[in-house]
Amino acid sequence: MNKHSQAGRRYLRRFYPTMTAYVVALIGANWAINAWHPSGAALVALAILPALPIIAVIGVMGLYLVEETDEYVRQRAVTAMMVGLAVMLSIATAWGFLEEGGVLPHVPAYWAFIVWCAAWGLAQCVRGLVERFTRDAA
Amino acid sequence: MNNRLKVLRAERDWSQQDLAERLAVSRQSVNAIETGRYDPSLPLAFRIADLFGLTIEQIFINPAKETDQ
Repeated sequence: MNKHSQAGRRYLRRFYPTMTAYVVALIGANWAINAWHPSGAALVALAILPALPIIAVIGVMGLYLVEETDEYVRQRAVTAMMVGLAVMLSIATAWGFLEEGGVLPHVPAYWAFIVWCAAWGLAQCVRGLVERFTRDAA
Repeated sequence: MNNRLKVLRAERDWSQQDLAERLAVSRQSVNAIETGRYDPSLPLAFRIADLFGLTIEQIFINPAKETDQ
């Protein structure tokens, strides 16, 4: 990701408000469920509420890939996302079998997105460091 | 893909950033192309060639011909 490109700046302008909406939705939904103990459709609506901004953030990430005009930066972001996906799927698969074997406890499925983001970020950092060293060598 | 980009840039006394700005790409892109880690698309290769007033083949070395040598 190039934070200085127009697409990168647009990404950040969309990302921060969406994540703010996530925090508000998470706190609000938790508070409402604990305070009112709703059931049925109301419970479903409140429980799904924090997921909606996260789904929107995934859309914001997709928009960035569409709008980024620098082909190398876009390819680099896609590669880092794919590394994140590979790490996330590997951990989820291993965890599932370990859980079935009674070795590990159950974790909520929303951790998949968190693991993906962390692995993606790490992959992007490693790539950035490699670039820094190869630039000095060039 | 091996190329003469670094030499051509040095002849004009341009930094990677200078070249990046002239091509409307990031400095990282110029660095990746120069070091052969990234092969540009045809449209970008033509932009590079036009900037230096050369053909693509005069800047990027054909890998098939490279192995023949």
